[in-house]
Amino acid sequence: MSGATPMRRFALPVVAVVAAAVLVTFPIWSSPWESSRYATGILRDMLILGILALSLDLLVGSAGMPSLGHAAYFGAGAYAAAIAGQRLGSDDLLLGLGAAILVSAFLALVIGAVAVRAAGIFFLMLTLAFAQMVFAIAFQAADITGGSNGFSGVRRPMLFGLDFNGPDALFHLVAVVFLLVLLLAWRLRSSAYGRALIGLRENERRMRALGYDTTRLKLSAFVLAGAIAGVGGALQAYSIRFVSTNDVGVARSVEAFVSVLIGGASTLVGPVVGAIVVLFIERVMPSYIAFAETVLGLVFIVFVLAARQGIVGLVRASYARVRA
Amino acid sequence: MTPETAVVQALNGISFGALLFILAAGLSLIFGMMDVVNLAHGAFYMLGAYIALTIVQRTGQFWLALVLAPLLIGALGLVIEPLLLRRLRGRHLDQVLLTIGVSLVIADLIGLTWGREIRSIPFPAGLDHAITIVGGDYPVYRLFVIAFGAALAVVLAVVHRRTRVGALIRAGVDDAPMLAALGVDIDRLFAITFAVGAALAGLAGVIAAPVFGIYPGMDVDYLIYSLVVVVVGGLGTLSGAVAGSALIGPVDTFGKVLFPQFALALIFAVMALVLLMRPTGLLGRIRIAR
Repeated sequence: MSGATPMRRFALPVVAVVAAAVLVTFPIWSSPWESSRYATGILRDMLILGILALSLDLLVGSAGMPSLGHAAYFGAGAYAAAIAGQRLGSDDLLLGLGAAILVSAFLALVIGAVAVRAAGIFFLMLTLAFAQMVFAIAFQAADITGGSNGFSGVRRPMLFGLDFNGPDALFHLVAVVFLLVLLLAWRLRSSAYGRALIGLRENERRMRALGYDTTRLKLSAFVLAGAIAGVGGALQAYSIRFVSTNDVGVARSVEAFVSVLIGGASTLVGPVVGAIVVLFIERVMPSYIAFAETVLGLVFIVFVLAARQGIVGLVRASYARVRA
Repeated sequence: MTPETAVVQALNGISFGALLFILAAGLSLIFGMMDVVNLAHGAFYMLGAYIALTIVQRTGQFWLALVLAPLLIGALGLVIEPLLLRRLRGRHLDQVLLTIGVSLVIADLIGLTWGREIRSIPFPAGLDHAITIVGGDYPVYRLFVIAFGAALAVVLAVVHRRTRVGALIRAGVDDAPMLAALGVDIDRLFAITFAVGAALAGLAGVIAAPVFGIYPGMDVDYLIYSLVVVVVGGLGTLSGAVAGSALIGPVDTFGKVLFPQFALALIFAVMALVLLMRPTGLLGRIRIAR
């Protein structure tokens, strides 16, 4: 950006740190409000969907790999954290997150090995179909996952004696992990790896000609995105102390995809803005209207038709126009 | 498995395959012509089943539903293509994304209109009995599904090979821009293609309603089935839809009997295997994977 004067270079980190602190402490400073508890719950779910959408944006936005089955890795992470906690009788947060990352990354490796051979529409079809396979397994392996009844009684985690059992403490955890994922996404954008992914999106043949093993590059992005989605899933399992087959279902994959597109693919914060909009429509609007899902579909259609760059893309474009 | 149950399950598998063919033929037709994977295909299928439910409840006429529901859904397709898809012509991925939105809207409106419970319609009069096959009763309606699927395959093949419309479709699949340059009204051809594909999904929904059920979520289930069928068989060709459904119908049915633990995942394993061996699908001409 042209306005990177010393003043701005100093101001940006300060603003970021203040915003992060405001976010993490939300349950505390909002506690006088009547609906603080409700708002905390919704915001927590927005951050979790935000993590999922940020991870998906690595594929959709950066690498140009439109995955419509990202819930598979989210759900795998949720089940992994829940089952590891139960089977090992442990509340250790690192163990739960470790299990989630391991299982979802492995799943992404297996599915990705087939799916990344396809591109564009075909990649979208295959990721959707294979995610449904994961859903089928979660549904049928009822003795491990609880099947259609879901997996209840997920234990809330602990870390170094810190107990995340209360809703406020859990919110702090979700918010901190969210910020770490956001930081990672931001660092990736300017890294050699992140630029290689953008190269994939812009011109895969040229990347191959430059000597990149593009299949491996795609697979690594798929696994990384799967692992981050798995972290989101683990947080979801801790939050509602329950895992259901919905967490691996198509609806969740679509939620994440719609978040990325409405917010703006490849704009860093776009997927988060999208997640906020999507959950506002799905969770707040039904109190007022019966057809919230229809609204979501229509909003998505309008964005695909008229504003493919998403909310953040639109805002940046109009900001650039004003400055010019 | 006794020989008797094997025969019964084989018939079940073939009838399910016949249903999948009707469904997948529409998806494949739209893809072949327009390079768009219509992700609202499952929603059209679901809408067909629910419209059939209302028609049967009001009039008791299954056969009326079989004609009327596909026509209504074809008309819907005739509106959606020019209204939405045409604006993004050439941007195939965005067109596919658009159909996700369409599918969300249709599925939600179905839930609002018909409720979110499991529904059913009776077998139509004349096909509501069972006949004796290998010592057991077998519902005639399932045999009708097989016959209907086979007849439709023959009709579509004849239309495809022997008629002017078929020639236009084959030309459009080969090279739509060239066809437009030759003076064919490509807008009209695309709109009609999309409408016919949608109507086929609706038709499959009506045919499925008495045996395979009417329930929320059927749109996703059958969208996935049709995607697996066209990937396995090969995209964009009629023979591919036949091959894919002939394989997936029986595999899914036998899987549910033989390996109930893995049944739902089995067809995806088959899909992965086929893709690894033949990246075009069994009888396709488009490389889906490298």
